[in-house]
Amino acid sequence: MTKEMHHHEKTMFPPDGTGLKPYEWMIKATPQQQWIDSKGVYLWLAFFFSEIGAGLYFISLFYSYRPGLVLGWLITLVLGGVIHVLYLGNPFNAWRMIMKPQTSELSRGIWVIFVFAALGFLQIITSGGFNVVFNVIMGILCLLIISHGFATMNVIRAIPAWSSTMVLPLSVISGVWVGSQLLQFMFAVSGAAALAASLEVWAEVLLLIYIGCVLLYLWGTYHANEVARESIENFFKGDMQKIFLGGVVGLGCVLPLLLSFIMWGGDTNGFLIFIRLVSVFAGDLALRYVIMKRAYYTPLI
Amino acid sequence: MPRWGMVIDVKRCIGCWGCTIACKEEHFLSPGVFFNRLLIGEKGKFPSSRKLIYPILCNHCGEAACVEACPTGATFVREDGIVAIDPDKCVGCRACLISCPYQQRTYYDKSVKEREYFPGQGKTELELIGEKLYPFKEGTVIKCNFCSERIEDGLKKGLTPGVDEDATPACVTICPVEARVFGDLDDSNSRINRMIMEFKGKQLRPEFGTEPAVYYID
Amino acid sequence: MTYKTDEIWEDKWVNTTCGVCYCGCGARVRVVNGVPVKIEGIEDSTMGGQGSGLCGKGTAGLMYYHDPNRIKKPLLRTNPEKGIGVDPKWKEIEWDEALDIITTKMKKIMEDDPNKILFTNQTMRASDGPHNHPYFYAQAFGVKNNGNFIIGGGSLHCGNACHMLGGLIHGAWSIAPDWRYTKYVLKWGSSKGTGSGHSAMTNARLRADAVRRGIKEIVFDPMGNFAGGKATEWVAILPGTDTAVGLAIANYIVNIRGEIDELYLKAKTNFPYLIREDGSYMRHKESKKPLMYDTKAGKIIEYDDTSVAYEDIALDGEYEYEGEKVIPCFIPFKEHLKQYTAEWASEVSTVPVAKILEVAKGWVDNSQIGSTITIEGKTFPYRPVSSVTFRGSQGHSNGIHQVAAIDLMSQLVGAEDVPGGTLGWPAIRRAYPGGQYEQTCSVGTDGVIVPSVFYSHDPWPVHEPSLPATNMGCVDVWTHCTLSHIPYVEEMEYIHEKFGMKSKPEMIFGISANFIISQSDWDVAVRNFKDCFVVQNDLWVNETDQAIGDIILPDVSYLEKDCWSSEIDAFFFSGSPSYEDWYVHLQQPVAKPIGESRFFMDVYIDVAHRCGVLDKFNAKLNDYYGITDPELQIKPGEYLNWKEIGERVLTWVYGPEGKKKVEADGYATWHKPIEDVYWRWEIESRCPVYMEYLIHDRRAMERIFEETDFDVKGLEFDLDQYTPLPSWFWPESHKDLDNEFDLLAFSYRDILHTNNTTFQNPYVDEVSKMCPYTFTITLNSTMAEERGLTDGDIITIETKHGVKETGIVKLMEAQSPKVIGIAGQGGLWADGRPIAKGKGANFCKLLPSKLKYFDPVAGNMETAVAVKIYKI
Repeated sequence: MTKEMHHHEKTMFPPDGTGLKPYEWMIKATPQQQWIDSKGVYLWLAFFFSEIGAGLYFISLFYSYRPGLVLGWLITLVLGGVIHVLYLGNPFNAWRMIMKPQTSELSRGIWVIFVFAALGFLQIITSGGFNVVFNVIMGILCLLIISHGFATMNVIRAIPAWSSTMVLPLSVISGVWVGSQLLQFMFAVSGAAALAASLEVWAEVLLLIYIGCVLLYLWGTYHANEVARESIENFFKGDMQKIFLGGVVGLGCVLPLLLSFIMWGGDTNGFLIFIRLVSVFAGDLALRYVIMKRAYYTPLI
Repeated sequence: MPRWGMVIDVKRCIGCWGCTIACKEEHFLSPGVFFNRLLIGEKGKFPSSRKLIYPILCNHCGEAACVEACPTGATFVREDGIVAIDPDKCVGCRACLISCPYQQRTYYDKSVKEREYFPGQGKTELELIGEKLYPFKEGTVIKCNFCSERIEDGLKKGLTPGVDEDATPACVTICPVEARVFGDLDDSNSRINRMIMEFKGKQLRPEFGTEPAVYYID
Repeated sequence: MTYKTDEIWEDKWVNTTCGVCYCGCGARVRVVNGVPVKIEGIEDSTMGGQGSGLCGKGTAGLMYYHDPNRIKKPLLRTNPEKGIGVDPKWKEIEWDEALDIITTKMKKIMEDDPNKILFTNQTMRASDGPHNHPYFYAQAFGVKNNGNFIIGGGSLHCGNACHMLGGLIHGAWSIAPDWRYTKYVLKWGSSKGTGSGHSAMTNARLRADAVRRGIKEIVFDPMGNFAGGKATEWVAILPGTDTAVGLAIANYIVNIRGEIDELYLKAKTNFPYLIREDGSYMRHKESKKPLMYDTKAGKIIEYDDTSVAYEDIALDGEYEYEGEKVIPCFIPFKEHLKQYTAEWASEVSTVPVAKILEVAKGWVDNSQIGSTITIEGKTFPYRPVSSVTFRGSQGHSNGIHQVAAIDLMSQLVGAEDVPGGTLGWPAIRRAYPGGQYEQTCSVGTDGVIVPSVFYSHDPWPVHEPSLPATNMGCVDVWTHCTLSHIPYVEEMEYIHEKFGMKSKPEMIFGISANFIISQSDWDVAVRNFKDCFVVQNDLWVNETDQAIGDIILPDVSYLEKDCWSSEIDAFFFSGSPSYEDWYVHLQQPVAKPIGESRFFMDVYIDVAHRCGVLDKFNAKLNDYYGITDPELQIKPGEYLNWKEIGERVLTWVYGPEGKKKVEADGYATWHKPIEDVYWRWEIESRCPVYMEYLIHDRRAMERIFEETDFDVKGLEFDLDQYTPLPSWFWPESHKDLDNEFDLLAFSYRDILHTNNTTFQNPYVDEVSKMCPYTFTITLNSTMAEERGLTDGDIITIETKHGVKETGIVKLMEAQSPKVIGIAGQGGLWADGRPIAKGKGANFCKLLPSKLKYFDPVAGNMETAVAVKIYKI
């Protein structure tokens, strides 16, 4: 139950989503809003989709599984790309975003996506697409796309929770892990139970790495500096507590871990794979949400 | 070509908000949009605590994080050091906004454009004429431009920015206690450089490596 | 600026005067297509800030014009019931109808007793309007004196003791340090140079240069915010206890260090005046002048005997006159100070002993007694120390002694109106070259200066308290009130009855005052005024209008106003106290009046005309400006509006050429001679530091109380404060402190706000939200933690009288742990001002409206109050 807001607060300092009063702006650790609040949620979704799409593509390469490539390619470009463009203030100017690869992480990402789109398309339509060279190139592109969103965030020095060293590894593993779950689910629904079972070993390894990375991220960020610590404290004690504990810990880590124990060693089951996929989706979205929502700028004075 | 910069004398500043409001009038800014503002805080413990008042604005950084982040080149550093935005090139991705350690940028979208100073009572003549005199493009990022129109118009008239008020940023001109001084950072003999030397000017958060063109003295 | 030129048919700047606070800075407004779009200062005028500087709220003044909530037609109350929370059910009426109702009412009252009409002295917007004219406008109706005024402007929180002593000592309304030459400044509950108020930005500009130059500025204040937050050193002090520290410093100067400016005391104060056993002056048996002792000639002389050298006047010794023992009043003064030790002052004020002694030492060390300075070839005594006070410290039931004690430090070292010392606003206004109007102070009874211009009534000579009281304020009895407090006290009716006051008010004719919420206890104010027929000229329907207004007339804001008179007579109030040119600014219309709004001065003239008293008003105008040119005098039967009157007056004041220039530029500056700034040794006058007049006032008051069987005890009227020696009296708020009501609430001016009018300005509103303290209630962090309170909590403040206010907590280190701070006049509720509504917290309502909470001498309100706080 949230306490009903007093009329004084409603009149003088109506909440603006930062959890701060206007006079605390940049005097206390101040959360970023542009990339999560109101239309900013598009970016949260866009990052997620383009990254798990690329993750799916990446894992599919190991299985030379063309439907996985197709779906991964589509998720990355259509879901990820379209939502990205919808987020923009002037979508018709979007083409200009290729202009600054020399300095702009964002611009470099757009290039990677273009190359990924073109080469991926080629790989998908080429019968002999799964040759080693192609796979290596596409694998690298996938990893670049997966890390693109967080790389953009990582360069922002004023937000220590983003410039934390574990951000990139976490981002890569999350893309690959969620992508792998999508692939496993595709295997399961397409009746390729053996493949699904064979992937379970990978799933378990990836999940453990994923959990490890989350823990390392939390630990590392907590100890990075005061402002970064506030972000992490907010996950555990602040207004992100429910989303963090329920979403990231519960759905993102504990439940998948339980399901993995049940399916340990390849004893897979389509239903459980589906449940785990949904749980992992929700958990990873929650993780990305709290990381974006409680990204605090360093106060100026 | 000069490189424009500013010195803010925190000792002189009394926190009247003249800079903030003059800037809003100069650029016809919507409610909630600030190219200039004050940060008011405190340091130390009673009874020896001190009030802090820091006027802040775009730092027109030499190594601007926003310029680096901009994927289209819409945000760029002019020859005179002013960090400017070309609204026709801006795609509205807000990478610049996110990357600015000083949070000096505003995304100007429909909801901002539609805000009224007297909510629910319609736009005033002031707001309406502002849309004509100083239009912003919807879906782009806006920020302090060091009043580059004033500087350019002033220079055309043979005036000297930082000396002649009509050629100097509005926040400097309005300051009743001369807490802001504007001038050329590339001229080692300029008033601002002399002040930076004499009173040991400091930049805000220099650890971010942004090389701000705004210095503070105390 | 990039815009299509064909759409812009006008883009100009108009020079005028800012009308947002008392300061009245020169201002210019950019007007595009008839729309005012920007305001800044005037570069070439010294009136106000540096260059084109203007403060935030002045810059935001544009919104006065653009506010859609401005009233556009006269409004008439149709609901006869009045009170807070009652809908007046306004009906729009035509101007003619409104003025008919008003004048019919006025004429009827005038037939009976014009003193039953009350006027307001000033708008809530302070400098937005002519200054002295409302006073003699009222006189034209037959109203007797300053007891008939409802206080606009800063309300009783501002004023009385400061203005009274400002007038008696400096011939001016207020004081400021001589920023140009001072080295050591003490500020006591004053934000001169860091806040709003008289010559705010002029002072701010001068102070900024001074602090950059390296002066030491020590601020005694309950909070380290506007003044304290910018000081070299902030010293936390309890509200109303400045007297204690001031007297302890005075004691240090006189009795411990023994370093006083003897020559100054002998020449420029009444300390050498000989007094009798009862403390009153021994007067010359024929001339009735006070006497002094000439040590060289060994004889008693009259105080104005110019044959004696100042050095030879006695400050000590015992003499005999007409068989009676007499001594210089400095002797008891010096003795009296001995009781005020630093240890004692520390107990009272919470200022550490060491700090008091350190400041006292700094004061003496910096005062450079005996030194001189030559400026522009002229040599003056140089005393680079200044001690100034204003609203904060004087707003207590011991206000007169607060101000006297703070001023005493400057007196003892001779730092009054000399370079580096404490300056009044100029006591003299020289004529504009080619013009006629000049105001010079005079020297009155006993050698005390009489200001050339003063609001309400002159502080000198003091008129004797007498009966019956002839007006609501009973200033016949309370002779030292610049403006009276009696209209706001709960015991008003009792006082009126006792003092035979027959002119029970029936009507208020006001100009944007908001006295229901800006003084003290709202309920008492409503009760005391609701039976009056209340007419106000106003921009919006404010709280007072909504609660008790009958007719509200739409007024113009300063941006639409053609007011030539703004600064002509305001030199003693908004001129620069420093050595810089005189200036005068016109208020010129920047845009057309909103709706059917009319400048209240024109409405005043119209009403005077309809009531048949316009000739009287015009005659007073002729007289006030001393117009002797028959061409320019307003003649009987002439009906001129304010602008037309201005045509005449400006020609007189500036000469025909000067008038043209002033009108073309909107302002004028001309040279101020240096002797007019540092006039102390140029004018033969003496400061009544020993307040002998209070002995006589006390006797007269006692006589009146006895005669009327006035319940002095029951009303807790403290006659002891009528003492000639600045002394310590506990402020009433402190007496109310106990275990339950254990905190003192106080208020202060926020630089963003002028009373409550600025709360309706959306520019100011949005930056107010970005200030940590403007809309919140401040508590010392440690004290709050001990009480389980934290940032953002909603608390109730409750007084012993059961009045409550709620607000949002903001913790602050720089605040005394025994106080809570509120920035003035928020907590507004008028429906006519939606931006202001609900913002901030209201401090005024917490102040109890009982006679004992007012300074018994000057009528200052006790502006601190014992409260308890609790979380909602």
